[in-house]
Amino acid sequence: MDHSTSDKFTELHSKMNLRDIFSVGSSGLRTRRVRAALSVTGITIGIAALVGILGLSQSGSADLLKDLDALGTNLLTVQAGDGFRSQEATLSLDATAMIDRIGPVYQVSATTKITGGVFLNDLIQDGRTKGITIVAADLNLLSAQRGSLKSGKFLDEMTSQFPFVVLGSVAAERLGIRNTSGDQKVWLKEKWFMVIGIMEPLPLAADLDRSAIIGYPAADKFLGLDEPPEVIYVRAYPEHIYDVRSVMPATVNPENPEEVQVGRASDVLEARIAASDTFLNLFVGLGAVALLVGTIGIANVMVIAVIERRNEIGLRRALGATKFHIASQFLTESLLLSVLGGITGVAVGMSVTATYAISQDWSIVIPVYVVVGGILCSILIGGIAGFYPAMRAANMSPTEALRTK
Amino acid sequence: MINLENRSSQFALQLKEISKIYPGPPIVQALSDISMSVNHGELLGIIGSSGSGKTTLLHIMGTLSVPSSGSILIDGRNVVGMSDKQLSGVRSQQIGFVFQEFFLLPGFSALENVANGLLYSGIPLDERRERSFEMLGRVALEHRANHLPNELSGGEQQRVAVARALVHNPSFVLADEPTGNLDSENTASLMELFTKLNEDGTTVILITHDLEVAESARRKITLRDGRVYSDLSR
Repeated sequence: MDHSTSDKFTELHSKMNLRDIFSVGSSGLRTRRVRAALSVTGITIGIAALVGILGLSQSGSADLLKDLDALGTNLLTVQAGDGFRSQEATLSLDATAMIDRIGPVYQVSATTKITGGVFLNDLIQDGRTKGITIVAADLNLLSAQRGSLKSGKFLDEMTSQFPFVVLGSVAAERLGIRNTSGDQKVWLKEKWFMVIGIMEPLPLAADLDRSAIIGYPAADKFLGLDEPPEVIYVRAYPEHIYDVRSVMPATVNPENPEEVQVGRASDVLEARIAASDTFLNLFVGLGAVALLVGTIGIANVMVIAVIERRNEIGLRRALGATKFHIASQFLTESLLLSVLGGITGVAVGMSVTATYAISQDWSIVIPVYVVVGGILCSILIGGIAGFYPAMRAANMSPTEALRTK
Repeated sequence: MINLENRSSQFALQLKEISKIYPGPPIVQALSDISMSVNHGELLGIIGSSGSGKTTLLHIMGTLSVPSSGSILIDGRNVVGMSDKQLSGVRSQQIGFVFQEFFLLPGFSALENVANGLLYSGIPLDERRERSFEMLGRVALEHRANHLPNELSGGEQQRVAVARALVHNPSFVLADEPTGNLDSENTASLMELFTKLNEDGTTVILITHDLEVAESARRKITLRDGRVYSDLSR
């Protein structure tokens, strides 16, 4: 054979620049718009679900974490629990003083429940208490809870001596009392008490929201209270919180430490964050399944495109396209489909997050990794879904591809 | 107008002892020992009934398929033994194809379809457009440049395909049953176009089973059972 002749010729090359590859790759989408739109939708749904879920959960837990930060994780609640003895366990009268002697403790606030109802007037005597509890409390309760007042002021040295009451947020609402202007009185255990303050909700002690709080001296003087504290709120330095917690039962009740129950108020909030994380994993899983289905959808559409456009592949090979050119045409098409889906998905996910966060009064948190990840994910999907069809197209024999029957 | 001075060889295409065997089973000897030389500027008709090896020969001449033995010289360059990529390069610059089914891409205008003939040649887009428009003029379809294939008649579609095959100024054009999907009127007009293009210097290899179509060729090669049966010139 005469190979030598080819040496004196310059080599002939098929060439295609990136712009042409892009233009040829997008031609399939331009001519089959409905099909392209439908396969884009699959990816859009998947990416939007993931971005929305991650965005919402981040916005939601950002909100909870903000609360948690403000309220602190160093508040312990001490109360009598079920002991081994048959009679009901109680805390001792000097429990507050004993707890105060623990080194890292810097704030102790005792509360005691008093049986009785709270009413707007003295005419209702049928026991419909509206679930409002009377609580005698130390003057530092509000600061131990890091709470604030909606209206009026909290009990002080003076007001705790007299029939004055501060209402929890829910209690005030149930009684229909909106503010402390005017002489608002309530009929509290058959005595008139003047409302001097209404508290904002206390996230670390939700039961106090349903309480009417009076001072210990007043409780003693007007209601004849002589019970020991029931729940004691303790603030300790955060770095020692576990030590304080462990010595607490023996300090409060050296004889029967098992009768003392110590809890961490912030655990409730943390449990809420953990619970939202559990749902997050579930939904991320669902989003991933949606994406997988979308990927299969694109791969499917691309395989069909390769079969349908067999003649086009043959023609392009005849016009001088290399296998690489054919592969890049179909890979580009698949990438365009998935990236289009990725971009719209991220946009939809972000707007859903923003809309919902605004409606919930949350701060909008959409992490950058979610946006970048969504786009990268869609590129990856396009590559995976397009790889096999592109290879199949490229390796089709030109003569086979040109056959019309 | 084709500039013959650019050509490296006196022959646009030379086949030397080409055989093609399909390994099967069953083993089929599609072509046996075919040799021929096609001069630049020739209008050659290759005639054969179905099963005579026409299509296999067309594919081998067009470098779409490789022979089992023998050599092929396109404009003096031996293409046997070239890689798939190199063969693509040869097709993008030296061979033009016209198919029975036109194979125009839907969704692309007539002009864009012609420009596809230059897509893999590395020529910039503006120049591709310009040359394609000029080429549409040579097939008298300038006024249809922006029409989509489904807006053109069969005859017009095939003329667009001819323009696409010629736009990169190939060494020769391979036309595979180009009139197979046309009525007699369009057949006559297409053959007139081929004759005119040939007079202007284009080398045309016409593969057909239609003797009437082959009449316009000055040289006729008849294939029978994968061999050259006759090679006649007027």
